[in-house]
Amino acid sequence: MVKKAISVRGLTKRFGDLVAVDGISFDVENGEIFGFLGPNGAGKTTTINILVTIMKPTSGEAFVAGYNVLEDPVKVRERIGVVFQDNTVDRNLTGWENLYIHGLIYGLKGEELRRKIEESLEFAELTKFRDVPVKNYSGGMVRRLEIARALMHKPEVLFLDEPTIGLDPHTRARIWEYIRRLREEGGVTIFMTTHYMDEAEKLCDRVAIIDHGKIVAIGSPDELKSNLGGDILYVKVSDRTISLKEFAEEILEEGTALSYKLLGDTLAFKVRSASKAIPLVFRVADSMNVTIEEIKYAQPSLGDVFLHYTGRELRDEEGDWKEMARMRIAVRRRR
Amino acid sequence: MNEARILYAMAYRQLKRYFRAKSRLLGTLINPLVFFLFFGMGWSATLRGSMARQLFGGIDYLSFLAPGIVMMAIFTASLVGGISVIWDREFGFLKEVLVAPASRAYAILGRALGDSLTSVLQGLIILIPLYFVAPALKLEGLVPTLVVGFVTALTFNSLGIAIASKMRSPEGFQLIMSLVTLPLIFLSGAFYPIDNLPQYAKVIFYINPLTFAVDSSRYLLTGKSSLNLILDLIVLLSLSLIFLIISIRIFKESTID
Ligand SMILES: Nc1ncnc2c1ncn2[C@@H]1O[C@H](COP(=O)(O)OP(=O)(O)OP(=O)(O)O)[C@@H](O)[C@H]1O
Ligand SMILES: [Mg+2]
Repeated sequence: MVKKAISVRGLTKRFGDLVAVDGISFDVENGEIFGFLGPNGAGKTTTINILVTIMKPTSGEAFVAGYNVLEDPVKVRERIGVVFQDNTVDRNLTGWENLYIHGLIYGLKGEELRRKIEESLEFAELTKFRDVPVKNYSGGMVRRLEIARALMHKPEVLFLDEPTIGLDPHTRARIWEYIRRLREEGGVTIFMTTHYMDEAEKLCDRVAIIDHGKIVAIGSPDELKSNLGGDILYVKVSDRTISLKEFAEEILEEGTALSYKLLGDTLAFKVRSASKAIPLVFRVADSMNVTIEEIKYAQPSLGDVFLHYTGRELRDEEGDWKEMARMRIAVRRRR
Repeated sequence: MNEARILYAMAYRQLKRYFRAKSRLLGTLINPLVFFLFFGMGWSATLRGSMARQLFGGIDYLSFLAPGIVMMAIFTASLVGGISVIWDREFGFLKEVLVAPASRAYAILGRALGDSLTSVLQGLIILIPLYFVAPALKLEGLVPTLVVGFVTALTFNSLGIAIASKMRSPEGFQLIMSLVTLPLIFLSGAFYPIDNLPQYAKVIFYINPLTFAVDSSRYLLTGKSSLNLILDLIVLLSLSLIFLIISIRIFKESTID
């Protein structure tokens, strides 16, 4: 049997009463980009911390690059590269110095070390800034440096915890390019976490959707979306004498939609085919004296998949970002 | 071989940081300088003449005070350096070390060696100008004093690392610093000889590692001392070893939860 890049069985982590990771199991194949998609506090970072051997699980087993994270942590550490959610570079040192220290720690030396540093700087497009202290780098530059650093010792498995968190859209796109380049060059398996669905959709071969420490769905983005079947129809109502719920129930009864969710003053219907459903929705609306202000439809996104399995939305990026900052402060306090 | 490399990598990091952080460099020099100016200028003006010299084993007060000031600089710098492991945790660098396949014991040892070197440099920066104002300081005492300073720095750097590992957040940093540094400095015999203290008071001085550092450096720099040089050195060497082992033990078990 060929060993899997990552293999996890019944992994659980408790912090006191809180179950941060709740008996998850999954496999990651060699060479794929595997994504953990979930909202704040879902247990993504906790899972990564266990897989990279710096946190002990409460129960369950995990193998990385063929080695048990509890029994052979050093073997695992030799075979992985990690980019943590929070930066781990030394901000007082330059890019070059950070790479130099990393290389030494990972057993590189002499000419090879110096060559690897140059290659890494080039990969991160930071050659010009090699002698600038990292505290003067932008967020994107730091992230690029960290990714290049994690790759410097040719790991078999690369862990990226929210690689684009807090970056502007332009910089995010650039980081995505780096990750895609890695897949094209081959040879490294990537395990990444994100709470941006577009990121998971664009980059990952397979995605596990995680919520409250549990994996609720797993598969390729296309699989997950087509499992939902059909389209999503968004109907915004402006004028009505009856409740949205009554209106929606009526449409369900007509057999037009398979299910619905209420999103503020908008109804999201899951339908087999949007083009067939739209006229029917209008007819029901007419008969119930409901005025439709706006109607649009979309192929389901991973966000809809998330909504489908958890009954909640993956919140929009802006709000998420602020909440994350708040949470980070709270976590700091507690530690 | 890999052990040697992580040792070197961590020492390299501390040295680089030291030479880049000018403000920290000055920060830990201010206290010793202030003490030297206030105590030194004041008392040396008052305690003049041969009668006064008798009090300090036959040397002038500035020369008596100088070794204590040097050790104070080394002590403060190394303790701050050790406790600043807490910033490594806060700013993430610690994870880079924890997730590496290299030996954690050598990583923290390398860090301690690097910090101790920079602390001795701090001591040297203070000591050189003191040679111009304290007439009884012997030049041949310079190098041996720096060696004793290095052992002292290792002791307090390790102590700092151990304290930091038990701290959950950096908020207590300042508090711990003033809680630890001031008493240790005042109870070290840096400012007055401990020979004439009552026995019960001497005990307090004897449980302070800094006492032995001050006493031995005073002997090396001026030829005067209250204790015995060999005893001083044995105490300092054993303490540095004990604290090093403790800090390595604690650090080895670091996980992030
Ligand atoms: N060291 C800890 N001690 C106590 N609770 C913790 C600790 N680390 C994480 N938690 C809690 O465990 C849960 C999962 O946290 P985790 O960091 O794994 O989430 P996440 O999916 O990475 O979220 P985010 O998107 O915010 O990074 C959260 O409720 C968090 O508050
Ligand atoms: Mg996280």
